[in-house]
Amino acid sequence: MAFLEIDGLKKRFGNVEILKGIDVELEKGGFLVLVGPSGCGKSTLLNTIAGLEQITEGEIRVDGRAINDLHPSKRDIAMVFQSYALYPNMTVAGNIAFGMEMRGVPAAERQAAIDKVAKILQIGHLLNRKPSQLSGGQRQRVAMGRALVRDPKLFLFDEPLSNLDAKLRVDMRIEIKRLHATTGTTIVYVTHDQIEAMTLATKIAVMRDGEVQQFGTPAEIYNNPTNIFVADFMGSPAMNLIPAKIDANGSGLSVVLDREARQPIVLPMPGAPTGLAAFKDKPVIFGVRPEALTDPEGAERNGSNIATADCHIEVVEPAGSDTFAVTNLGGKGVVARLRADANIQPGTSTPLAFNLSKAVFFDPATEKRIL
Amino acid sequence: MSAVASPASQAASGARARTINRIVIYGLLGLFAIFYLMPLFVMLVTSFKTMDEIQNGNMLSLPHEPTFAPWIKAWSEVCSGLTCVGMKGYFWNSIKMVVPAVLISTLLGALNGYVLTKWRFRGHTLVFAMMLFACFIPFQSVLLPMATILGSLGRFGVTLQNATGFNFGLGNSTVNLVFVHVVYGLGFTTLFFRNYYEAFPTELVKAAQVDGASFFQIFRRIMLPNSLPIIVVTVIYQFTNIWNDFLFASAYAGSGDVMPMTVALNNVVNTSTGVVEYNVNMAAAMIAALPTLIVYVVAGRYFVRGLMAGAVKG
Repeated sequence: MAFLEIDGLKKRFGNVEILKGIDVELEKGGFLVLVGPSGCGKSTLLNTIAGLEQITEGEIRVDGRAINDLHPSKRDIAMVFQSYALYPNMTVAGNIAFGMEMRGVPAAERQAAIDKVAKILQIGHLLNRKPSQLSGGQRQRVAMGRALVRDPKLFLFDEPLSNLDAKLRVDMRIEIKRLHATTGTTIVYVTHDQIEAMTLATKIAVMRDGEVQQFGTPAEIYNNPTNIFVADFMGSPAMNLIPAKIDANGSGLSVVLDREARQPIVLPMPGAPTGLAAFKDKPVIFGVRPEALTDPEGAERNGSNIATADCHIEVVEPAGSDTFAVTNLGGKGVVARLRADANIQPGTSTPLAFNLSKAVFFDPATEKRIL
Repeated sequence: MSAVASPASQAASGARARTINRIVIYGLLGLFAIFYLMPLFVMLVTSFKTMDEIQNGNMLSLPHEPTFAPWIKAWSEVCSGLTCVGMKGYFWNSIKMVVPAVLISTLLGALNGYVLTKWRFRGHTLVFAMMLFACFIPFQSVLLPMATILGSLGRFGVTLQNATGFNFGLGNSTVNLVFVHVVYGLGFTTLFFRNYYEAFPTELVKAAQVDGASFFQIFRRIMLPNSLPIIVVTVIYQFTNIWNDFLFASAYAGSGDVMPMTVALNNVVNTSTGVVEYNVNMAAAMIAALPTLIVYVVAGRYFVRGLMAGAVKG
């Protein structure tokens, strides 16, 4: 039995269904990230776990106990809010101790707990300051301290890094990961940033329009997306989704990619998914991540199925660590990820290696993965 | 001058235009300020003059022999109607009325604003609209119904007095005035606090809920300590209105030694026996106006700030 179980959860506002039956579970000590575009219902889902919003149907269980009818303070959870929600009239110590104070914890015990958390988060020197005297990163730390001090069963994070600048965000991300590793707490974390989701999670739930599109480990989500939405949403730069056609010849199936004013590229697919045979002579969406489309020297040596084709390079974007090249296949701009020192010029033709063992196919009608 | 002005001459003419603008603006502002402050000035200088000087001298001139006698007389000797004990008793009447009325109406307004923004219920906009409506009711139209209600409350007080030996303040003129002012202040105080709390981050309330704070704990520990600007605005507004109110005061406490300051001042000035003692009248009027002046001076800058805070979002 999982530690956190969400069963058939539905949430309606009047006639509008915000959450359309969510089933998610998380083991003890796990890190669940709810990710999706704005308006997908991820924050609402978090609020229902916290008890700040009521659910219409379904059940939420923590450690085998149904909590969906309990008051937020009785659920044994702690929450870190997007705006940090530090009480402006109290000092940092007051903020951290407020929850304990409300529960009638004696002052000496409170002080001990504050000191312990301050040590973990290295905010001991800030304890007597007001939130207005803190920087963004410090506020973030205090907000986490306020959650940590309670030692709850479940931590909830609502986009905690979205108010920080880019560099600080990376630092705090690492800090959260370290905190999770050292304290072994169970965390549910909401973000719209797929990199945060990939780096932090042990389990990811990709959401859209109040439904979980895919639920799995980061590797599953990244390598085996169940539909076009998940494939497109996760990963940066996004997966190339190229309109293509399936051709069958004597030896097996192959993928045909149209090109402007040139011969189409034909890529043989020996290890193609079995479902692909039904799409013979039909359009499919051919999905290949930029790192699976690279210069032949940079391609995986042990890739089981690598095909090389000459491509016309339109744009070259050196990004320092990598060089991105844009070519045109099937009427769409397609991004290839090359080594930083790849010798490549825009306007020329160059061979690109397709790692077809990493390629995925989608049905353009249903947008679902062809297996 | 050539058709194309040189940058230097352009800059010079620009500076000159700015100077002229400044002179016009500050001149006008100064003029209005003088115009506005003139009556206060006349009152102040007159209150320190002797009657001789008032009758023979210039109204605007400073007192030749400043004297506090008119102030002392206004405070402790002047006649309001037939009783000649000065303004001091009525001054305390007003204080006894205004302090509870301001505190109660501000606290209830804050509570209303808190519920209307952070604990929304079905129909909260309708309730708020109806409370707003209270701001637009002319006070004259409620004089008679309110008198009836206060009369019933008074009779109920007598019943209680007979039954328990204590009337719980019902029927007392000061209590009546506090009640009336709380009821008619609620519309405004609710409006102020609702608009302020509308912009108040709801996440703080949620965080406090997760922390286990109750409805009133959140109100007392989170909302009120972060509401200083709007509390000041409301207190100034309510204090000024209630202190200066004449209509309710004269209607429900218009005679005897329960009169608030405003009614007493009117009686002092309208006393028709003997010579009109302008200096004493002016001193009495100054005493009546002092508390509101002090409140403005002490808390005035919060007043503007708080009004702005409410205005930006809401």
